[in-house]
Amino acid sequence: MNEDLILQHGLTLDEFKIIKNNLNRDLTMEELGIFSAMWNEHCCYKTSKKWLKKLPTENEIVIQGPGENAGIIDIQDNDGIAFKIESHNHPSYIEPFNGSATGVGGILRDIFTMGARPIATLDSIRFGLIESEKTKYLLNGVVHGIGHYGNCIGIPNIGGECEFESTYGFNNLVNAMAVGHVQKDKIFYSKPKSIGGLIVYIGSKTGKDGIHGASMASDVFSEDDEDDKRPSVQVGDPFMEKLLMEGCLELMSLGLIESMQDMGAAGITSSSVEMASKGNVGVLINLDKVPLRQPLSAYEILLSESQERMLAVIDEKNNLKVKEILQKWQIDYEVIGEITNNKRVVFESNNKKVVDLPVDIIVDDAPEYDREFYMPRKRKSKDFDFSNIELEDIINTLLSNLNYLDKSWVFNQYDSTVMGDTVKEPGLSSGIVKIHGTQKVIGATTDCNPLYIRINPYEGMKYTVAESYRNLIACNINPLAITNNLNFASPLDPNIMGELVLSIDGLKTAAVKFNTPIVSGNVSLYNQTNEIPIKPTPVIGMVGLNQDLKKINSNKFCNIGNKILVLGKQLEKNLSPYLLQDQNLASNINEYNDLEELDLDYEKKVADCVLKMSDFKYIMSCNDISRGGVFLSLLKMQYNDMGFKVNIPDPIDLFCEYSAGYVIEIMNEDLNNVTSFLSKNGVGYFEIGEIIRENIEINSKKFDYFDIINNYYNNFENIIN
Amino acid sequence: MSFKSAVITFPGSNCDRDALCYLQDLTKGVVYNIWHEETSLPQVDLVILPGGFSFGDYLRSGAMASKSKIINDVIKHANDDRYLLGICNGFQILTEIGLLKGALIQNKNLKFLGKNCFIKKKFKNNFNLSIKEDQVLQIPVAHNEGNFYCDNETLKSLKNNEQIAFEYCKGEFSNCEENINGSIEAIAGITNKKKNILGMMPHPERAYSDFHPSQDGRLIIESLIT
Repeated sequence: MNEDLILQHGLTLDEFKIIKNNLNRDLTMEELGIFSAMWNEHCCYKTSKKWLKKLPTENEIVIQGPGENAGIIDIQDNDGIAFKIESHNHPSYIEPFNGSATGVGGILRDIFTMGARPIATLDSIRFGLIESEKTKYLLNGVVHGIGHYGNCIGIPNIGGECEFESTYGFNNLVNAMAVGHVQKDKIFYSKPKSIGGLIVYIGSKTGKDGIHGASMASDVFSEDDEDDKRPSVQVGDPFMEKLLMEGCLELMSLGLIESMQDMGAAGITSSSVEMASKGNVGVLINLDKVPLRQPLSAYEILLSESQERMLAVIDEKNNLKVKEILQKWQIDYEVIGEITNNKRVVFESNNKKVVDLPVDIIVDDAPEYDREFYMPRKRKSKDFDFSNIELEDIINTLLSNLNYLDKSWVFNQYDSTVMGDTVKEPGLSSGIVKIHGTQKVIGATTDCNPLYIRINPYEGMKYTVAESYRNLIACNINPLAITNNLNFASPLDPNIMGELVLSIDGLKTAAVKFNTPIVSGNVSLYNQTNEIPIKPTPVIGMVGLNQDLKKINSNKFCNIGNKILVLGKQLEKNLSPYLLQDQNLASNINEYNDLEELDLDYEKKVADCVLKMSDFKYIMSCNDISRGGVFLSLLKMQYNDMGFKVNIPDPIDLFCEYSAGYVIEIMNEDLNNVTSFLSKNGVGYFEIGEIIRENIEINSKKFDYFDIINNYYNNFENIIN
Repeated sequence: MSFKSAVITFPGSNCDRDALCYLQDLTKGVVYNIWHEETSLPQVDLVILPGGFSFGDYLRSGAMASKSKIINDVIKHANDDRYLLGICNGFQILTEIGLLKGALIQNKNLKFLGKNCFIKKKFKNNFNLSIKEDQVLQIPVAHNEGNFYCDNETLKSLKNNEQIAFEYCKGEFSNCEENINGSIEAIAGITNKKKNILGMMPHPERAYSDFHPSQDGRLIIESLIT
C-alpha cells in the first residue's frame, strides 16, 4: 500500500507495519479505514492509556467505571446516576453551531444508550480573547448550537463554565457533559449476550457527514485547514434524537433489546468493533442493508459519522415488536447483521467480504505509547509590587473582565427548567436537579484552572478537583464521583506530555482523598493551531447527592443583618495566580511563584464542617471562593436589595485565591455556636462583616452599589456586543 | 365531581410530562396522556397542548402539529365550551390551528430566551380568576419564537373583547427587561372571544412545586377548579 495513503489515514508507517505483520497479508481500503478510525487517539487512547490506568475507578458505589458508554454510580434504592463528559473541540472550531450541537447530541446518546433518561446537561467552553471578531463568531455559534440541541430535545442545562484566554483563540474548547437517571435493575451495556443475536440499525440514515471525524479530532490543526475540514463536521438533528431517545428508552423499558451501542465517533466501525470486543464474540454485518441517505461506498458507510444512530442486539423473537415501536416513533430500523462466535469483524458489501479482521488485532494490538515527558522546571520565588494597585482599580478590572462577570447571556440561551425538576439553575455554585418522584437531588459542576495547571500540573490539578468539590459542598451536596475531559496540546512535545502525566497524577491524588472515583471520561489531544498550544485544560465534571431536597444551601444572601464568615486558608497575594494575571502583574508564565501545596486533608476537614453546619441549619447561605477571591464570592451571593460590608486589614486580600475557601452567612444568634464549632474542629475562619441594605462597604469606604451590581450582571453582554 | 384533564403528546413535545405532573398534583383528578395519532379525546374539563418542538419545528413552530389527527377532536372539545390551554409550543399550535389570533414570531433579540419572567393579568377570564389585579407572577419562559404579533385590527379586537389574559411586566429587584421578547403591547397570553381557550408563552407547569423558585403557576389551575 502506498505510503501517502497510510499517512493520510493518520497511521504511522510503524503502526502500519505492525498491522501487516499481524495479518500476514495486504489490507483492503475498507480495512485501512477501520484501522484509521480505531487506532487514533480519540478511540484507542494510545498516548494516555498508560497513565489513565493509574486513576482510581472503583469504590462501593461505582456500578460501572470507564469503558462503557458512560459511568454509573449507585445513589441507593433502585436509583443509579449515569454521567460522562466529552469534547467536540475541533468540529466546534470549524463549524461552531453544528460542531457544538452534535457534541451535546453525542453525549446524550452515551447516557440513554445505557438505559438512563438524561436529566441534565452541563458544558465547559473556552475561547480566545473577545477583542477578536473570530471569538465573537465562535462564541455565538457554540452557545447557539449547545442551546439549540439541548432545548429542542428538552434536557435542562444546569451549569458549566465559560472562559476567555488567548491560547484558545484558534482552538476553542467545547466539552459537554450529560447526567442521566437509571433504574439499577434496568441498565443496558454494549456487551452482547448471545451468539446469533440480530444486529439492528436504529435511527437516522447514513450520509457522507463526518467521514474521518475521529481522525480529524486527533490531528494538529493549521488555520488553512478550516475550509477543507468542514465536510468532516457532522450535522445534528435534535428532533430525530428526541424520537430516537424515546424509542430506545421504550424498547429498553420493555426489555426488548439485549445490548446497545451508540454510533458515535467512527460510526458503525467503532460501535460494532466495541460490541465484538466486549462480548468476546464476532460480528457479521451486511453493509448493503444499512439505510442510506445517498449512494455511498462501503468505505464511506464504515467511516460515516452521521448522527442520531444506534446499533443494538436483539433476540430474533422480538424483531416484530421492536419494529412496531420504532415505527410509532417514525425511526428507521433495519436488521443488518448478526453476532457470530468466530471473534472476527466481517463486513460484506455486494456479496463480497470487504473487511475480515480478527477483533484482537484491531483492539488488543492497538498501539500504546510511553511518550517522553519532562518534569516542569523549578520556579524562583518572586515578590510582586502591589504598591500601585488601588482597590477601585481591582474592582474595575474585575468588572470589565468576561471571566468574572455573570454569564446569563450564555445560559439564558439554554432551557434550564424543562422537565420541571431543576432546583438550582446555572450561574450558582453548582447546578442541582431533583430525581423525579423522589426527594433526592443531584448536584453537578464542571471546572478547570488551566493557569494553575500550567504553573504546576500536579498541584494545579489538585486545586481543580478541589474547586469542583467545594462547588458541591457549598450547596450541601455530598460529592460522589468524577468524569474528566483531558484537553491538551500535542503530546509529542515532552513538556506538554509532562503536563498530561502530572495532572493525571494530581487527579488521582485528589480523587483518592475525596473518595470520588473517575467513572468516565474523554481525552482530546493535539489542541494546537498555528503552533500555539492551548493551556493544559483537564476539565473535571463532578457529581454529588443529597438525599433530602430540603437540606440544600442557598448560594444567595438570605437576610439583612446576618453575619458573614470566611472559612479556609487564603493564598497570599504573591501566590494567587489569577490575581497576578488579571491585574497584569505577571507578564509571562515563568514569572509566577510555584503554587502553594494544597493540603487535601484540610480541604476535606473544612468541607465536612460545612456539611455538618448545613445539616444543623447554621448556614443560611454559602458560596465557595475561587478566582476573584472573597470579593467575587460575595458579589455572586448578592440578592434582591442586599449588599455587604466587610472589614479586612489588607483589602487586596479580598481578591486572593483560597484553599478550602467558603463564604458563609449565619444568623447573629448562631455566631458563638458556629465559631466554637469551627475552632474545635481546627478550621480557620474570619468574621469579615455582615449583610446590609443596598450598599457595598469595604473598611467603611462606600462603593456605588447599583453601579457594581449593574456592571456585574450586564457587562458581559455589553462587552461581547 | 372531580376535575378531568388531558395532555396531548406530539413527536417532539418535551413538556408533556411536566404538564401531566402539574395537572396530577394540582387537580387531584384523572389526567390522560393522549398520543397525537389518536382520533378521539375522552370527555375532560381541560386539555393542555404542551411545550416543546413538535415535529422539530419544521416548516413553522406548531404548523405540523396543527394538522395532527387528534386536532379535530381538540377543536370539538373547545367548541363544547370546555377549557383548552396551550403553553409555549402549545400556544404556537393554537395560532396555527386558528383557534387563537395572531402569530408567534422570533424573539426580538433573535435568540432563545430561557429565564424567569414576570407577568400580570390584563383582562379577567376563567384562567386567571384567582390572580389579583396588579399581582406580579414569576414564571419561567423558554422559547425562540415567543414574540406575539398581530395586525392593528386584530389587536384592537383583542382589546375590545378583553382577550388579552397576561402581559409581561417588570419584577421587583430584577434587571430583566419589561417586555422580554418584543411582543406587541407586551402580550404574554391571549384567549379566544369566548375565553375558554388560553395560549401563553410562560410555563406555569414549571412554577408550582415547593422547590421551584416560584409557585405562581398554581394560580391558573386553581382559577379553573375553584
